[in-house]
Amino acid sequence: MKKWFFFSSLILLISCNKDKASYLPTPTAVSIPSHFPQMLIPSDNPMTEEGIELGRFLFYEKRLSADNTMSCATCHSPQNSFSDNNQFSVGIDGIQGNRQSMALINLGWEDFFFWDGRATSLEKQILEPVPNPIEMHQSWKVTAQKLNADMVYRNRFFQAFGATIIDSTQVAKAIAQFIRTMVSGESKFDVMYKYENGLSLNTVEQQIFTTIEVDEWAGYDLFKSLNGADCFHCHNGPLMRVKKFSNNGLDVTLTDLGRGAVTGNSNDNGKFKVPTLRNIALTAPYMHDGRFATLDEVIEFYSTGIHASPTIDPLIEYASQGGVQLDAQEKMLLKKFLLTLTDLNFVNNPKFKDPN
Amino acid sequence: MKNYYFLFSLLILLALVSCKKDKPTPVETSQSYVEITVQPTYNSSNLFLDSVYITTEGYKIKFTDLKFFGTTLKNGQNSLAQVGFFDFALSGNYFLKAEQDVNLFSDLQFILGVDSLINHNDPSTFSNDSPLNISNAGTMHWGWNPGYIFISVEGKADTLQDGIENYDHNFSFHVGTDDFLQTKSFSAINWVKTASNTHTFALQLDLFDVICNGLDPIDLRTEFLAHSSSLQTALTLKFGKNFKSALTPY
Repeated sequence: MKKWFFFSSLILLISCNKDKASYLPTPTAVSIPSHFPQMLIPSDNPMTEEGIELGRFLFYEKRLSADNTMSCATCHSPQNSFSDNNQFSVGIDGIQGNRQSMALINLGWEDFFFWDGRATSLEKQILEPVPNPIEMHQSWKVTAQKLNADMVYRNRFFQAFGATIIDSTQVAKAIAQFIRTMVSGESKFDVMYKYENGLSLNTVEQQIFTTIEVDEWAGYDLFKSLNGADCFHCHNGPLMRVKKFSNNGLDVTLTDLGRGAVTGNSNDNGKFKVPTLRNIALTAPYMHDGRFATLDEVIEFYSTGIHASPTIDPLIEYASQGGVQLDAQEKMLLKKFLLTLTDLNFVNNPKFKDPN
Repeated sequence: MKNYYFLFSLLILLALVSCKKDKPTPVETSQSYVEITVQPTYNSSNLFLDSVYITTEGYKIKFTDLKFFGTTLKNGQNSLAQVGFFDFALSGNYFLKAEQDVNLFSDLQFILGVDSLINHNDPSTFSNDSPLNISNAGTMHWGWNPGYIFISVEGKADTLQDGIENYDHNFSFHVGTDDFLQTKSFSAINWVKTASNTHTFALQLDLFDVICNGLDPIDLRTEFLAHSSSLQTALTLKFGKNFKSALTPY
């Protein structure tokens, strides 16, 4: 009886203890440039070192595709500032999409994802490409089976989420954590932005400041000028974009309804998410359908190629004239400014590279 | 033996009790809130974005965006809130809600725009929930000023009257820069109790009075662009003045 009593007591005491398994993820914070707003991290996916590292492995993991040939990085390549230099990305079955891959830059501040904004969180966005038949074309069930068969991944998922069975939610959370660390804020433009806003420059930034050319400043003025290039209405602030969907006058007849196909509101037809201009020199081709191969073509479009349509953004103020009518000198200056948005520290950051 | 059974039962009881989580004790809330709403109208009828309205000149017009800031909202020494923000497309009639005693605000004064004391601050430093934070302000912050757009009204106008809806003009009125700040006051406010702990002051913004103002109308055929630059001072002033007078108790 005594033995039974002590044995029972021991079990009771143990049963009140917490699990002792070693799921102890290390909380961490995203490094945010001083002139950026705070990044809101979803409460159900806090940033951890283990989650970020797992996300990095998964971002480059080709087993997420049915034939093990394609990873996220295939269409979001580091050398293209995590975009695709093809007009349309090609999936594992050789099928092209109809929109250009968006660059993955500073997505931690976004509320809408994809050109039409159909995903309202990074986690939801990440769930789409894997089962998409024209992209990676693999069900999440099979994807989970592949990952569950890998002891290294099982260990990493346990360390990141305490999960013993891997599922799509955890994959999406891990990749989202990794992508939230992909912050670009060390371009020449950042120094210009801080200077004009009266923010203090550190030693490195002061050195960069001395290298800013007169033409680059002139291009920036033109970029912000109401009677110049007038770009700032949609490409503004440290993130170099505003949160909106806009019809920027690409077409008279709309073949891709964009946001309108998501909302069902005809007033949204032809509107697409305003993208950041950061690293714009590295993310060609341009527009939602990648129709422009070079920055010169883009500048020419806004200068003389605008088409009016029922949903054109009222902020395209010179639409009736076909655009802002820049002369050759102005186009050159504007391009010089756009090149200041290149952040090579971001592109070459070893923390964003393939860990394999 | 009986002692063992008693001790054993006691141990089980203690273990079960100790494993229970504490239940939160309900707390009586005594917070009271005031909120301000804005109903856009056109000639006194409720206005909808992207719907067609007619000006006194016969132009068909559509409004596509309607936003404005109010800051330093107070009644004398009593501060109601630092900032209110109206974004019709995104937030409907909402302008602001604050935890305040309604009895302190029989009158109300505020700056129509962003107080010059904070207009030029680094827009990333406002709290995440502030409409002035660059993440939330978005199109309402100018890099060139730098500072905020106080009032933004955008839309399209068909001024040709040829029977074809072609909306030949976009219009865009952006009032900003410190020179165009205005103050707005309301007296003897009729706060309406709209919830057990909330009182609401409803405002009306009649866009007909802004565009087709009886004293100083805006002809959208020729006056469709104002960005507060030095070349657009007259139209910016007119638009701002009309906007201010069109904002009235509902």
